[in-house]
Amino acid sequence: MNRRTLLGALAGAAVTVPALSACSSGITSLDSTGTTSGGGGSSKSGVTIGTANFTENQVLGYLYAAVLEAAGVKVTVRPNLGTREILIPALKGGDIDLLPEYQGALLHYLDPKATATEEGEMQNALAIALPAGLQILPYGMAEDSDAFVVTQETAKKYGLASLADLKKQNGKLVIGAAPEVKKRQVGVVGLKDVYGVEFKEFKSLDSSGPLVKGALKKGDVDVANLFTTDTDIQANDWVVLTDPKNLIPGQHVVPLIADRKADSTVRKALAELGNVLTTAQLTELNRQVDKDKKDPEDVANTYAKQHGLAR
Amino acid sequence: MTIDWSWISGHTDDLTTLTVSHLQAALTAVFFGLLISLPLAVVAHRVRPLRGLLLGLSNILFTIPSIAIFVLLLPISGLTRTTTVIGLTVYTLVVLLRNTVEGLDSVPAKTKEAAKAMGTRPLRTLLTVELPLALPVIMAGVRIATVMSISLVSVATYIGDGGLGQLFTDGFQRNYPTPVIVGVVLTLLLAVVADALLVAIQYVLTPWKRRRA
Amino acid sequence: MYELFKNLGSWLTSGAQWSGSDGIAHRLAEHLQYSLLATLIAMAIGLPLGLLIGHTGKGAFLAINLASFGRALPTVGLVVLVFLASGLSMTPVYVSLVALAVPAIVTNTYAGMTAVDPDVKDAARGQGMRGHQVLFQVELPLALPLIMTGLRLALIQVVATATIAAYVSFGGLGRYVFDGLAQRDLVQVLGGAVLVAAVAVVLDLALSGLQRFLFRHRTA
Repeated sequence: MNRRTLLGALAGAAVTVPALSACSSGITSLDSTGTTSGGGGSSKSGVTIGTANFTENQVLGYLYAAVLEAAGVKVTVRPNLGTREILIPALKGGDIDLLPEYQGALLHYLDPKATATEEGEMQNALAIALPAGLQILPYGMAEDSDAFVVTQETAKKYGLASLADLKKQNGKLVIGAAPEVKKRQVGVVGLKDVYGVEFKEFKSLDSSGPLVKGALKKGDVDVANLFTTDTDIQANDWVVLTDPKNLIPGQHVVPLIADRKADSTVRKALAELGNVLTTAQLTELNRQVDKDKKDPEDVANTYAKQHGLAR
Repeated sequence: MTIDWSWISGHTDDLTTLTVSHLQAALTAVFFGLLISLPLAVVAHRVRPLRGLLLGLSNILFTIPSIAIFVLLLPISGLTRTTTVIGLTVYTLVVLLRNTVEGLDSVPAKTKEAAKAMGTRPLRTLLTVELPLALPVIMAGVRIATVMSISLVSVATYIGDGGLGQLFTDGFQRNYPTPVIVGVVLTLLLAVVADALLVAIQYVLTPWKRRRA
Repeated sequence: MYELFKNLGSWLTSGAQWSGSDGIAHRLAEHLQYSLLATLIAMAIGLPLGLLIGHTGKGAFLAINLASFGRALPTVGLVVLVFLASGLSMTPVYVSLVALAVPAIVTNTYAGMTAVDPDVKDAARGQGMRGHQVLFQVELPLALPLIMTGLRLALIQVVATATIAAYVSFGGLGRYVFDGLAQRDLVQVLGGAVLVAAVAVVLDLALSGLQRFLFRHRTA
């Protein structure tokens, strides 16, 4: 408890640190963070939410929009802006104010050598690693991790069950993932560092989208980087390789916001959402967008109403 | 590949917003393109040594992939409309500059001499004699640049803008053809309508051409 | 900016950057393959079409309008549309590049044909030349300069646009642009852009050289 408070203080008063005593999902009680004194920002002039170039991030962006609008904040959503590598500079530069992030991936982007894996630790490490002007709010229950996936046939053929097994096939397998994964710790870099895995080739595809899944189906790639909330993994009976050495960190959804907009209204609304939205629900919302072709905005609004987060 | 008509009827508002935003980006780019090319063209027309340099430079800009220009502008103008407009403007230059220079070249020397003999000052000659006579060729360039810009706006979808282009990335990510088809059709319609309007504008601006046509 | 160009220098000159499946040499070869094949297909479609319309004078209105329609086709949309219809292959890329190149080739070929002096054609017919002889021995050679202009324009556009192959998982120099965007690695983006522009300029110079070679007897 002391260490966390100390770290939080070091990172500056604007940073929110979840209390240790919170429930297993790590949700902070509102009264520790919900005071206006915490931020000094204001959402009065409106908040622009940016989202990354994959379905789930857009669903989350519109969920944020729904609860913020219900709290009386004027919201603009800018969907599909690109990767974290593009979004974070845009957040710093003021093109956007808020974006749905994932703890572990964000931490490794900011600090590739980060070792924290437990939710609370990551939250603290994030608070320290974030550049001035940006802060994370309490993380939500929902999680979406990176997964390295192979087809049943590939798993049998090469005897693959865990990431460690990939090393035996060094130089033989092709991995497909979004271009940024080539340079990421939770990606080609970390697989080599932690598991000693080397691939024959890296194919630049997309983030759990049609390219990477199409390539895995066709056999153009042997290993694919997908998201655990992608219902296609189950639908195709693909094998998620286990991660015995914990390369892939926990990936609770966490709002990343510019200090200038982080007021108590925004904190309260997003914390409420975080306390309600589960991984299973998020997965279902993704499915409605990808498979039923519903709008992320409609899906998010319906969810928010059904769960009393918006009228 | 079927069209989901209910998607279209359920998204008329979004489609209107995207179409307006698309057109706005394209037209702003052509406007700034003209603003830049007109003085440059006058220079290229009058100062022969600079002519090859300016035209060559605009040709080289044209060979750079548009997506790369958008990305390279990110550190300067960020994920904004400004980035889109600057990128598109660069592409209009090649057509606008060349056509404006050719338009000015097409003005008969005798006409200019006549103006000079009447004591008209050079700037006035340029504005009241040369540019109006060059207008048909300039307008041909404006038409090509407008149609080209309308088709290129969608590339800016890779940096989160792109008007109707957003329908392409959306349909792509969700394996959903309807928004893509609608986006392509609306882009084509926009181009056709904009081109027809420019023809009408040219008709109004060049009354002396009507009888001959 | 200065930093960016300095880094570009080392990016372009590092030996490691040139080798391997993601190396410049390989990407350059892919890019050339996409561009040249697409332009050849577009020529196979556009040249006969333009010659036919120019020779017969029929369908000119339709062709010109289709061509300006084609210019308005958003390449990104077309690639995605063909991708959704035909799946993950090079087809969407080639279809889009060909669609981009055909209008330039058709309109310029047609323009070249109409620019041929009708008196010359009449004279050829008067000497007893048949339709196809007039076309291939009189009209085509006279129309060649404008036809070549169309080809050069088409090729430049195709080279710049072949970048799109990378959007649907394939290679070419666009790989550097799209990967650089995703990784926010501007040196890589700039490197890709400079290489694409260089390829376009070199191919254009080669074509204009060819053009000069073909017409050397005329100027001599």
